[in-house]
Amino acid sequence: MSEHLEKIIAAIIDGDADAAEESAQTALAAGLDPLQILNEGLMRGADDVGKRFESGEYFLPELMLAGRALKAAMDIVKPALLEKYAGSDSQVKGTVVAATVQTDIHDIGKNIVASMLTAAGFDVVDMGVDVPIKSIIDKAEELGAQVIALSALLTTSMPFIKDLIELLKARGLREKYIVLVGGASVTEEWAKGIGADGTARNAAEAVKLARELIGA
Amino acid sequence: MLNYLEILDRANNGPYLSEENWDLEKVAMTARRLVKKYKVEYDPNEIVTSDPAIADAIYQAGYEMAVELGAYSRSTERIIQLSQEEIEAGIRNMKKTLVMGEGKDARTLHARRLDDDLPPLFFGGSPGTPVPERYFLQNVISYMQEPLIDLATCGTLTEVDGREVRTGNPIEIVSTRRELQYMREGLKRAGRAGMGMLAAQSSVSELGDLAVAHPDYLRPCDSHLVPVLNELKMDHRNISRAVNSLEYGMINASLPCVIVGGLGGGPVGSAIINVASYLVANLTCLADYHILHPIHVRHVATSTREVLWVISATGQAFARNAPAIIVADIYPKSGAGTMELLYETAANAIVNAVTGSHLEGCGSADGNAPNCSGLEARWMAECALASHKMKMSLKEANEWALKLLPRYEHVFTQDGNPGLPFDQVYDLQTIQPKDFWLKMYEEVKTELKGMGLKV
Repeated sequence: MSEHLEKIIAAIIDGDADAAEESAQTALAAGLDPLQILNEGLMRGADDVGKRFESGEYFLPELMLAGRALKAAMDIVKPALLEKYAGSDSQVKGTVVAATVQTDIHDIGKNIVASMLTAAGFDVVDMGVDVPIKSIIDKAEELGAQVIALSALLTTSMPFIKDLIELLKARGLREKYIVLVGGASVTEEWAKGIGADGTARNAAEAVKLARELIGA
Repeated sequence: MLNYLEILDRANNGPYLSEENWDLEKVAMTARRLVKKYKVEYDPNEIVTSDPAIADAIYQAGYEMAVELGAYSRSTERIIQLSQEEIEAGIRNMKKTLVMGEGKDARTLHARRLDDDLPPLFFGGSPGTPVPERYFLQNVISYMQEPLIDLATCGTLTEVDGREVRTGNPIEIVSTRRELQYMREGLKRAGRAGMGMLAAQSSVSELGDLAVAHPDYLRPCDSHLVPVLNELKMDHRNISRAVNSLEYGMINASLPCVIVGGLGGGPVGSAIINVASYLVANLTCLADYHILHPIHVRHVATSTREVLWVISATGQAFARNAPAIIVADIYPKSGAGTMELLYETAANAIVNAVTGSHLEGCGSADGNAPNCSGLEARWMAECALASHKMKMSLKEANEWALKLLPRYEHVFTQDGNPGLPFDQVYDLQTIQPKDFWLKMYEEVKTELKGMGLKV
């Protein structure tokens, strides 16, 4: 593997945004293909971070720092990617609008899923917590997203997920979006019952599900 | 003492900082630095440390964090700065005794020390667990009728009259009042009308909390939760809960649910955040007592090695340095009707009791399903009282935890162990455990007796 890619991977694993940005710039200047930088550098680093988190070696701060480093490097690589592969959407798997629904402020699960989806090549817009369902739909419309990923930990906030799906139907938008749902009390049965497209037990499964449903 | 309205002023006018920077640059980085500075390491085989230097270091590091960071208002994205003098005053004012309940059923919680002569007290109930209305009353009675239970708590009503409860909607007012009606009725039927409660668990926003501040519902001798959000954060909703207690006088239980594996990193950083959370909560939550409820980032349960370590370290840190009234929640992974629930509860009860906490539980099945019953609360109290009666040392408590862990740790690598809902483990007419559940309890009790636990 090239030294450039190794540096990129190391920067992501270390969660060093400056080093990630610099190494991405250097790699591009050295003539590496931006798609190779993405797939063999950034994604490998992100994959490594995900595995370390799953095994308990890394904790949430490391995951968040890696997300920052990834974003910094992507800001450098993305224009080059678009320039070289304009018209092709093979490198960006889809746009995801993620949020913890209104009245719920629990964000750790949503943050982990959002980080892992980003690492897997999705363009994730994280709207944060306690987000009104109307705003989530409006944001998805504004961005032309393909996926709406919703989280609720509180059982008394979970009904708002159902409300969002109903609102999508009422606005004639349901078929436009893949709606993924998650949270400690969310079960497959419940997700199916409210008409969601799927749920997953952990972040790795969420990524797999999103890939499957979007056909990426 | 700091005027509470001053907290509101600071939440409105303090220095601006984005929430992401609070999380990462303030909380996570400070935790990381303090872990290095104090050189404390987590040992999965020494869940209950016998080294007083570790407990003292955790306390000092948490104190430093509280003074350095203060708290954060999510509503305004501003830092609520707290001076060292204010933190000190908060520590001095921490209650050493607190009466809950009334009349013959009143109980006095005290700030426990290690090797305390007085036994811990027990809150019985499955705090925050969704429980259907159709057997909510029987469920709470199953705890209230247990002679060893001193105080009552409960699950959350997620539907009333067949209507789904939505947080922040008007129906939250109805559900929280209904919860309190069931609680008061349950206490009467159990013959313990004066028993103190930690209730309004159906109030997720401030609405329900505001609606029950009335002697017919939550009395001034009862308590409600004032959460500290992850990590070291408040918002207007939770500040409203504290404000709601100002004139009315109900008792404030601060609830930081520090995530072990979250912003603090591993158990050491998480314990430091837990200490800092209490010191901040003295002021921002007007805490009369503190709930000890760290949760595991992946497994949730309080019975994991990492979380047991945090409970032990935090409890010892306060018991040695600044005795406070701490009530440690038990949230086992397993649910009612399983042997593992009883082993998890035993490990948690022994560790919590020996390291300076009172006990509350059990939020069986991670508090995710109504798979909870009074029988495991009886078991929680029996195990804790046995450790007290035996004058169990920290070293012995650690040995017990290490003996019990292999009996249930497999539940963390399998797909949960939820057990059965309340109506399948208790007879709803007699409100007594069904035979198979009672037999399981007796089997585990006999086994632990054989191992030397004086239950």
